Amino acid sequence: MRYNEKELQALSRQPADLAAELGMRGPKKGSVVKRRLVKLVVNFLFYFRTDEAEPVGALLLEHCRVTHEEPTGFSISFIEDPERKYHFECCSEEQCQEWMGALRRASYEFMRRSVIFYRNEIQKMTGKDPLEQFGISEEARFQLSGLKA
Amino acid sequence: MGAMKLNKRSVAHYALSNSPADHMGFLRTWGGPGTPSTPSGTGRRCWFVLKGNLLFSFESREGRAPLGLVVLEGCTVELAEAPVPEEFAFTIRFDAPGVRPHLLAADGPAAQEAWVKALSRASFGYMRLVVRELENQLRDARQSLALHRHSSWKAITSHCRPQAVDHLSRGLEKGHSLSRDCSPMGLAEVACGTTAGRGLAECELQGPTSLLLSRGQSPVSPETSCFSTLHNWYGQEILELRRGWLQRARESQPKCEEPDRP
Repeated sequence: MRYNEKELQALSRQPADLAAELGMRGPKKGSVVKRRLVKLVVNFLFYFRTDEAEPVGALLLEHCRVTHEEPTGFSISFIEDPERKYHFECCSEEQCQEWMGALRRASYEFMRRSVIFYRNEIQKMTGKDPLEQFGISEEARFQLSGLKA
Repeated sequence: MGAMKLNKRSVAHYALSNSPADHMGFLRTWGGPGTPSTPSGTGRRCWFVLKGNLLFSFESREGRAPLGLVVLEGCTVELAEAPVPEEFAFTIRFDAPGVRPHLLAADGPAAQEAWVKALSRASFGYMRLVVRELENQLRDARQSLALHRHSSWKAITSHCRPQAVDHLSRGLEKGHSLSRDCSPMGLAEVACGTTAGRGLAECELQGPTSLLLSRGQSPVSPETSCFSTLHNWYGQEILELRRGWLQRARESQPKCEEPDRP
């Protein structure tokens, strides 16, 4: 699968939803914890060496699971291989909760579910479809049936 | 210097998962594996799938591995001249040094328009605006329902606020959290920029300039993403002007025009 690295690098320079220096350990066996600048931009999590401008890597946060790890860390895994985990170490429980919350909200699929949930609730209460005013009520991604898929 | 890493297997898995696609179809593409660096000739026909802010291309409709990925953030989608005259082309342009725009072409004007529209609305920022707006609307609807219950015998219809276009929600921002209702977006950033706390509809009411500015934070196609909203906005303005003009015309020449009409 080809993609333009420069496009992703440009995305990594956009304003962060959350950023911090965290300990990070990759999923490979024998990986050790390294200090990384970790930056959340929309549904991508970028990680940088602390002295470099361009990111070492990025994780697309769709279909991922964020799990709390003792004592003050969390891990990210993806549904096609749940055993492969990216580990992150925070400096406090508070910071850990902040990151876990932000990461769980950071997927497009989550946003889609939110739109469908709100649309449904508003329609039940007012009898009107709130998406009509934006001309997006017909879009496939906002249909209730899309939730079950 | 090593190449930047990406969780490609998860990305490919997501591309093929049964979560809904936002748009799909065949497009002609120039560039990509085995094609010259400048768009010429007939290009190559691929199957494209838009999922969220990700545009995947496949060898065919049945392709089991994506050939390419474009992340639709910070880009502009514009109509373009196709190297082949019978094609209806558009570009995805990134505001980054050394990044060549992606040239794509649909086989008809309707498909072209649908693609441009879908790609322009694909950014995460757009979704944030929609979620934010619906969050406000739901808050308003709940609030008005609560008011109705309080004073149901009075049946005060003025409490009813079906549209979040009004400003009630702003006063409720702090006092009434939706967390009790598991509001999934309670802490989300507002993509509306300087107009933080206002909904999409409200941004639109301010007119095109501020609308464009307010979307500056995630500038997926400032031109095209707002085309439909701009179109509506200008349309309303013209209707308004026309209404005023007709009214004035009627007032200044009372009852003279009508009988003259055939």
